[in-house]
Amino acid sequence: MAKIIGGLGTSHVPSIGAALDKGLRDTPDWKPFFDGYEAGKQWMREARPDIAVVVFNDHGNSFFLDRVPTFAVGVAETYQPVDEGWGPRSIPAFEGAVDFSWHFVDRLVERHFDPLVCREIEVDHGLQVPMELFFGRPERWPVKVLPIWVNTIQYPIPTPQRCWEMGKVLREAIESWPGDERVVILGTGGLSHQLQGARAGFINQAADRAWLDGIATNPEPYRAMSREDYVEQFGSEGAELIMWLVMRAAMNERVNLIHKHYHAPASMTGAGMVVLENAA
Amino acid sequence: MPEKTATIPDTPLFDRAGAIRGYRLNKMAMALGQPENREAFKGDEDTYLARFGLSDEEKAAVKSRDWHEMVRLGGNLFFILKIAAVDPTPITEIGAAQAGISHENFLYERLGKKRHG
Repeated sequence: MAKIIGGLGTSHVPSIGAALDKGLRDTPDWKPFFDGYEAGKQWMREARPDIAVVVFNDHGNSFFLDRVPTFAVGVAETYQPVDEGWGPRSIPAFEGAVDFSWHFVDRLVERHFDPLVCREIEVDHGLQVPMELFFGRPERWPVKVLPIWVNTIQYPIPTPQRCWEMGKVLREAIESWPGDERVVILGTGGLSHQLQGARAGFINQAADRAWLDGIATNPEPYRAMSREDYVEQFGSEGAELIMWLVMRAAMNERVNLIHKHYHAPASMTGAGMVVLENAA
Repeated sequence: MPEKTATIPDTPLFDRAGAIRGYRLNKMAMALGQPENREAFKGDEDTYLARFGLSDEEKAAVKSRDWHEMVRLGGNLFFILKIAAVDPTPITEIGAAQAGISHENFLYERLGKKRHG
């Protein structure tokens, strides 16, 4: 069986990618943010994964409102970075873990999920930025990817509980896969931010810091929270945090919090990272 | 859930009403993901906007870059950001416009950005 070697949580703010593109890494605004990710990058180098499962939401780039899948899974050979309006980014395309992705789709449907299955699709900053944060800017990515899209934009978005259940199926899929690949799972999005309405610019640093510890040691309350509670505590776009639950549910009940980092603001967002490993 | 989303103060969620109302506006903005449409928009906004069947108030909001109004009309930030990308307008200016405060106050007071030097 394949092996889960770690669960990572991270923000995926597009400005992070733009900052790297513009060479702003070591400016006063960005240096503390990127420095805090060095431990995560180092962990990744040593962990030597073969496959990265990336749970993220599209931001009106690969999906328009004409069709909005609640959950979608990629089974493509290759995922090109999508032009989000600023022009193409010079990062390599992502190679798909095709057979493993189909295996995950099989398992999902057996477990009564109904994903949209994507054979040909581009990926936006929701996948790009987490990959850049943990793998840097290689000439080619050292892992194959399994992208999972979660709708967090048009309501109704899925419930936190449903994200949790998907994580359980993801674990089953990894453990029932005949290969011996080493798999990391990246839950992405958040932390607190709100881009719309008079409360725009809302950042809740206390809730963010509590989240980074709680997702490791006591995720149960976050699984039980309503979507309204997420929006209230983390802002309208901060509800993206439900996607970390897919990652967390795939891990053991007990995990070790290996690395943690928080920085606010990254653009308009409270930004953070955790690296989790399964405990016995 | 759609009923309840209106209860969080100053927080418009992209619910059924917004998604239906803003569909054409968002569709126009989505198309700016393609370089040829960005060129068309930059070249002649009126002609470009006319292709998408927008109402007069939607067109006026886009042309005046009234971000608050675009959101009120059902525009979703992730789509209308593509208009900002053409300009380009920083996302924090869009945030400040919705919060109804100056950009500087938005950065330092609301986001808690640190002053350097």
